[in-house]
Amino acid sequence: MSRQTQGYIAAIAAIALLAIFPVKFGSFSLLSLLHLDVSILSEMLLFAIAAMSVNLLLGYTGQMSFGNAAYFGLGAYGAGLSIHYLNVHFIAATLIGTAAAILGALIIGPFLLRRRGIYFSLLTLAFGQVFYFIAYRANQFTGGEDGMSFPRPYVGFAGWHTNLHEATFYYLMLIVFVAVLTAFWLIVRSPFGRTLQAIRQNELRVRYLGLDTNKFIYVALVVSAAMAGLAGALYGLLIMFAAPLMLDWHQSGDFVMIMILGGAGTIWGPVVGSLIYVIGKDIISTLTQTWQIYIGALFVICVLAFPRGLLGTLLHAIARRDVGAPIVEDTMPHTAWETGTPTGAAAVAVEQKEL
Amino acid sequence: MLANVAPSVFNGLILGAFYAFVAIGLSLIMNLTATINLAHGSFLTLAGYLAFTLVSKGTSFWFALILAPLLTVVVGVLVERTLIVPLYKRDPMFSLLLTFGLALIAEEVYRLIWGPNGVPFSAPGVLGGGISLGFMQFPTLRLFIALVLAVAMALLALFLWCTKFGLRLRAAVQDTEMIAAMGTNTQLLYMVNFALGMALAGLAGVLASGLLGLSPTMGNSLLMPAFVVVIIGGMGSLFGSIVGGLLVGLAISITTLFIPAANEIIMYILMAVVLLIRPRGLFGTEGLFG
Amino acid sequence: MAEVLLEAKGVSKHFGGVVAVNNVSVTVEKGSIYAVIGPNGAGKTTFFNTLSGFYIPDGGQVIYRGRDITTMPNWQRIQLGMSRTFQTPSIFPELSVYDNLLIGVQSQKKLAFRLRLPSASRQREIDSKIDELLGFVNLRHLKDRPVAELSHGSQRLCEIAMSLSVDPRLVLLDEPMAGLAEAETERIMNVIRDLHDRLGLTVLFVEHNMRVVLSLAHRIAVLDRGNMLAEGTPSEISSNAAVREAYLGQEVISHV
Repeated sequence: MSRQTQGYIAAIAAIALLAIFPVKFGSFSLLSLLHLDVSILSEMLLFAIAAMSVNLLLGYTGQMSFGNAAYFGLGAYGAGLSIHYLNVHFIAATLIGTAAAILGALIIGPFLLRRRGIYFSLLTLAFGQVFYFIAYRANQFTGGEDGMSFPRPYVGFAGWHTNLHEATFYYLMLIVFVAVLTAFWLIVRSPFGRTLQAIRQNELRVRYLGLDTNKFIYVALVVSAAMAGLAGALYGLLIMFAAPLMLDWHQSGDFVMIMILGGAGTIWGPVVGSLIYVIGKDIISTLTQTWQIYIGALFVICVLAFPRGLLGTLLHAIARRDVGAPIVEDTMPHTAWETGTPTGAAAVAVEQKEL
Repeated sequence: MLANVAPSVFNGLILGAFYAFVAIGLSLIMNLTATINLAHGSFLTLAGYLAFTLVSKGTSFWFALILAPLLTVVVGVLVERTLIVPLYKRDPMFSLLLTFGLALIAEEVYRLIWGPNGVPFSAPGVLGGGISLGFMQFPTLRLFIALVLAVAMALLALFLWCTKFGLRLRAAVQDTEMIAAMGTNTQLLYMVNFALGMALAGLAGVLASGLLGLSPTMGNSLLMPAFVVVIIGGMGSLFGSIVGGLLVGLAISITTLFIPAANEIIMYILMAVVLLIRPRGLFGTEGLFG
Repeated sequence: MAEVLLEAKGVSKHFGGVVAVNNVSVTVEKGSIYAVIGPNGAGKTTFFNTLSGFYIPDGGQVIYRGRDITTMPNWQRIQLGMSRTFQTPSIFPELSVYDNLLIGVQSQKKLAFRLRLPSASRQREIDSKIDELLGFVNLRHLKDRPVAELSHGSQRLCEIAMSLSVDPRLVLLDEPMAGLAEAETERIMNVIRDLHDRLGLTVLFVEHNMRVVLSLAHRIAVLDRGNMLAEGTPSEISSNAAVREAYLGQEVISHV
């Protein structure tokens, strides 16, 4: 069985597990430390999507956005405001929230595109704060510092509707999650996705292959914003609340770290990271008031010792075992134009790139 | 109206000087090591709390003004040498994330030690009241702060432009590889550079506490405007940070005078305008970071 | 009189107070191999970079097939039919040789922006194009290897194949021999000759090894300290006294 098939099976097993959970376990308690129920799992799935949005930009396109919480928050507020003022139903609220996030990215994208590297990150940070600030200050509309609460409308179309209680909501989240995950997978294996990954490794070379990398990065930005916005809208609908802190750089940082915890540049990394983060936070905050210290310490340790994240480290180890130690190639072949075997035996030292 | 302009301009310049100070500290660290120090605000806050603790144990304010930043430098350098140095050779994203983790830890630690609500920290009585200089009344505290900031900036400029070490530091920003090849101890350079950033943060932190009040999030409230200042002034340019800071401070105070509702968003508007006209910032170096 | 493919007219470029390139003009005919040579610091790489769109010159023009491309972004120049390599091979280190070439082939076939996977027949087209490129540089046996594991010379070959993947008319090579051993140099020289002889391409390359240049090029431009010292055929250049002087201490310039 090839590794790829193994991967598919693992993915399907994970999804199946997530699907069976409410039926089989209802809620799950461990030593009164961990209380796992559909609400927490919903949160986990949504944060995973948010982390996926960062992953698309960073793990695949090589651009570190420290402002994706802004899109997350735009999604939540978009949903909340549309319910509050326009009385829309669930699906419309979700779509409006997502659209708000997309609009945000469309507007600030051209600013961000002028720069790369840490200057790009700085700009995402600053523009993220612009949106935070708007949510904070526009208190007539948004409720200001205290945020705004709103009811969760029913899901309805064609005359049929249903109220979403927690279990139903969870299944809806699971469906959205699988859809987004699949879309993510399709994107990264497409020619577009391969080009994004090439940009991450060597943007200059991509340009010198005739491609306008700005166009690619802009699209990646907008898709990333859409994902984060969708997650935000649904999260707002989950907790029936939208708050300025959802847009703050601390939240952005959390999303980035979730991705790192699981493994940047892998498809399931953000999911694993979200599991670690949401469950870890739950356990730690049950144990102590000062959980932020431990979360911060977790981040620090991860960055220093496990930069590839849990899944990333695992996949890397598997790949190393499959391929063996890096094979060194001899010097250039001397044979003529027909396909030949390399001659010469000088081993060339292989440079391992620092992560 | 005109009578209000002068004090506004003055206050704006003071505020701007603060932002510039914090921005320079950030810039120094960013330019040399590509590290966006999200914990910079935490160091500001630390200095404030250290000064508060020193004063509450009987130290004079003046002594604390010197000692607290020094202690902050020590803590900062310790953190840099142990946690950040291993990350220099990696993608800059990691040092950013590390400082983010540190910021989270720091905020909670401050809450734990000094309480979540902030502590009263005021300047000594002699700095109260005001000095009249004919056309307007200057609050003594702000005058003092302005003086200290100006002197510190002058000292920094002196160090960077008139000493051999400062020259090496500036050269290293341009081309670290070449400097290393020429035999300079780059680790020492990084350490001193970070120490400078910490000194600036420490001083700003103590002064800001007297002006803004001291709470676990005090430093962070200066951090974001400082980033905006760096963007406006231009990456890679310390002078840009000064100009950017003063500009932002002035813009905020003038806007407070005429359009009070917009006084917080004005710096973002300024940032957007500058980015449209000159993406590298007012004095930014082209292509330093892509 | 052959068609002029690339022309530089009075190109100048300075950095701060330093003039790197001063008023250099060059005419590259279609189907020729053109070399730009000069001692270190002559400004040849800077000049090369203005031709390839890495720098925008401060003065003068760059004209490609009659079109003023002086300020044209680099990616657009590639779409017009130019292509280049770098002194240190600019490749995608984490990808296999095959995938390195895939990016360029996708670009050339206008598939890069697509979300949909190529159809089976398209995929066959792509694979056969990549195979053709691999065959040209004799890297077929390494096609699934990560390029990071390749020797420096093979990486350079891979990069040359990548520069061909976009179907260029003009290939710009930046010090293609840099860092190669003697035998490998010979190999690359053969590849360059084949670009011209077998593929009919126009080649412009930067080099500081006079022997290589005299052996390969049809025309040579010699730069010195940013200025054009001499321009002409190999025999003209090798008998040029000023050139000899600039290369004082260099190996004897043997005639072609």
